[in-house]
Amino acid sequence: MKKNVLCIFLAAMMLLSLASCAKTQISSEHLQDYVFTLQYHDNYNILQLTDIHWNVNTSAKASMNYLDKLLKEVNDHIVAVQGAGAKIDLIELTGDMFMLANSYHLMTFIDYFEKKAEEYGFVYAPIWGNHDRHSLYNPNELADRFKNAKHCVYYEQPDDLYGRSNYIINLTEDGTKNTAAAWMIANIDSGAAFSETELSVFRDYDYIRPDQTEWFISEHALAGEDVPAIAYYHIPQDENEKAWVAVSEEGAQMKNKFFKLEGFADNGNEKYASDFIDRAKDHNLKAAFMGHAHNVDWTVEYEGVVLGLGVKTGTELYFAHIDVNSEDKAVKAGLADSGITENFDLIGASLVTLTGKDGSFDLEHLYFNERENGDFSAWVKW
Amino acid sequence: MGKMVMKNMFDKNGFVLCGLDARQKKQNIIVTLCVIGSFIISAFTFMNFLYCLSDCIGSIVCASPDISLRDAIRSVPIFLSFFMSLSGLMVAHTFYRNESENILKRKAKKHAVIGIVLGVITIVYVIAMRIAGRYLSLVEGAPSPLYPLDAIIFALIFIATGIFIISYFKKTADKPRYAGPTRAPVQKKGRGVRSFFRAFWLLIGLYGFCGFFYSIFIVDFTNGYVPYIIAVMLVSCVAFASIAVWELYYNNLTAEKRMKVTLPLSLISVVVSVLTAVVYFTALKGNLDGPSNVGFGILPIAFSASVNFATLLVVVTPIIVSVTALIKGIYRKIKFK
Repeated sequence: MKKNVLCIFLAAMMLLSLASCAKTQISSEHLQDYVFTLQYHDNYNILQLTDIHWNVNTSAKASMNYLDKLLKEVNDHIVAVQGAGAKIDLIELTGDMFMLANSYHLMTFIDYFEKKAEEYGFVYAPIWGNHDRHSLYNPNELADRFKNAKHCVYYEQPDDLYGRSNYIINLTEDGTKNTAAAWMIANIDSGAAFSETELSVFRDYDYIRPDQTEWFISEHALAGEDVPAIAYYHIPQDENEKAWVAVSEEGAQMKNKFFKLEGFADNGNEKYASDFIDRAKDHNLKAAFMGHAHNVDWTVEYEGVVLGLGVKTGTELYFAHIDVNSEDKAVKAGLADSGITENFDLIGASLVTLTGKDGSFDLEHLYFNERENGDFSAWVKW
Repeated sequence: MGKMVMKNMFDKNGFVLCGLDARQKKQNIIVTLCVIGSFIISAFTFMNFLYCLSDCIGSIVCASPDISLRDAIRSVPIFLSFFMSLSGLMVAHTFYRNESENILKRKAKKHAVIGIVLGVITIVYVIAMRIAGRYLSLVEGAPSPLYPLDAIIFALIFIATGIFIISYFKKTADKPRYAGPTRAPVQKKGRGVRSFFRAFWLLIGLYGFCGFFYSIFIVDFTNGYVPYIIAVMLVSCVAFASIAVWELYYNNLTAEKRMKVTLPLSLISVVVSVLTAVVYFTALKGNLDGPSNVGFGILPIAFSASVNFATLLVVVTPIIVSVTALIKGIYRKIKFK
């Protein structure tokens, strides 16, 4: 009896060890493997949807109704501004697509985006957020489903890089690796959270680790040092807070816009500050867009890099209600030059249009609310 | 010495089941299976309950009580399904305890009625919300493909079960009823406090069971953190085992046997639960980002609050239970020496 129990225990341990010993890829030796290519054209439209947060309480049907209207609004806007034939080219899903969700949510979500991708002709690129790890599905299931979805751009391998979804989308002349990249888009997993010690009561939010920065720089060198780059990830890094302090407390003159109605929910600990922006800005990083803090879409040009949080998409978990008559300084600052005269909720999407290969781009924030007596929609330019 | 203790602990003459006739044995097996079955159902509904609650708490913490309320309204059938399954567990457990004929009849009927009432409320609520347009359809989907219709089906099952229990007592009013063994009654002294802690312990046990079960499927063993994964599975397992050992083993012993076994069993429990805690914290030390990166679906509350609170609670509760039992065992030893 004792022998049997011991055998079962040892067999289980061996299986676990084998599972954990899956071959780990050395990222620096496989830089090309992380690269997808899509065809570039001027006025390339990248729509950022962030923090959709499908969860156990979500009405997927209601959420899809909202997304239907949102995508139609964006598409109509692009056509109106850029002319017939223009469309959403790429959707960046910058994390927290799910929280406390299950496989049913996952399948429904991917089916929905596949359907919409067919309808509008876009591809979509998901990035892990802290809450995407926090559900009743195996993380590998999420990765596999995204990998196998026809219109989804996603790469994940057991490798030496921190996080799960670190990959590159190069926009090239003919959409293959045979031609030079016009833009490089880096999708980075900014992790979830960690305890400082095993007895810590609280956890710190995660940050982009030095090995990920090093990987970005290597990938950029591979694409070409002159290629302009944009990074998408979930958790803001310390530069957002630094820029905010410089603007709001030290009176620094930096171009900045939109709303900052709560903290960035970043790591906030100097000891764990990321080196990503600091180093990537010397490698032609033009902009970095993220999510995570739903009541913030504040964007700033900091040391030559546009840093901005996307507009939270949909009504799950939490979002801010904007009162246009508010005396609150942050609300007033957000409303400045927006032309918005009625109350609204801070939900919608963000649109980046790459206007040239020289690193120029336009940025617009869409505030979109469903209403019984006609939906609210406001586009505000950066 | 160790062998002696183990042999003594599993001496079949010390169990309340000893000497039962065939009918009693059959009834006892059915009731025990009902307890286990309703415990498992309660564990799953409890996890759903925690998931919904965590999201609602998350919205409140993020200063959006309106979203929390909207979500809570949508998920009322999920909340109710947990209390329904709990009423089922209580009915089964009342039979399992079988403290006396009167207590059995009174308590089992009470819990059956609670189950029926909750079931009716669920059905009425779903239909009303559908008519009001809060549910876009009866199979709106999420969290399951059939939600909220599946909540109605679940409620109907519990209504039927409740009616069966009540009619069972009606039918057997003049005949001998359930003839299973009587197990240790809950002591009257400090009943309120005891009931509170027992309920809390039960919730931890449900959480542990479901956490362990889900971890088999949702934990990613290929992405590192293996020591932490094993530790967290061990923690879940011990939290559940703690309730299983005391309820399914200890409470099946005769009163005399329980007196003898309390001290050695509590000593073993203390050692196991303390060792588990040590293993957990050692694994965490080497995987400080483990909790947030692997299978955190099994620890919903902890993650929502971005604190380690829930994990600590699950680690500490078996220690508290076993230390309490140890004190009780020592006290009895001194008292009856």
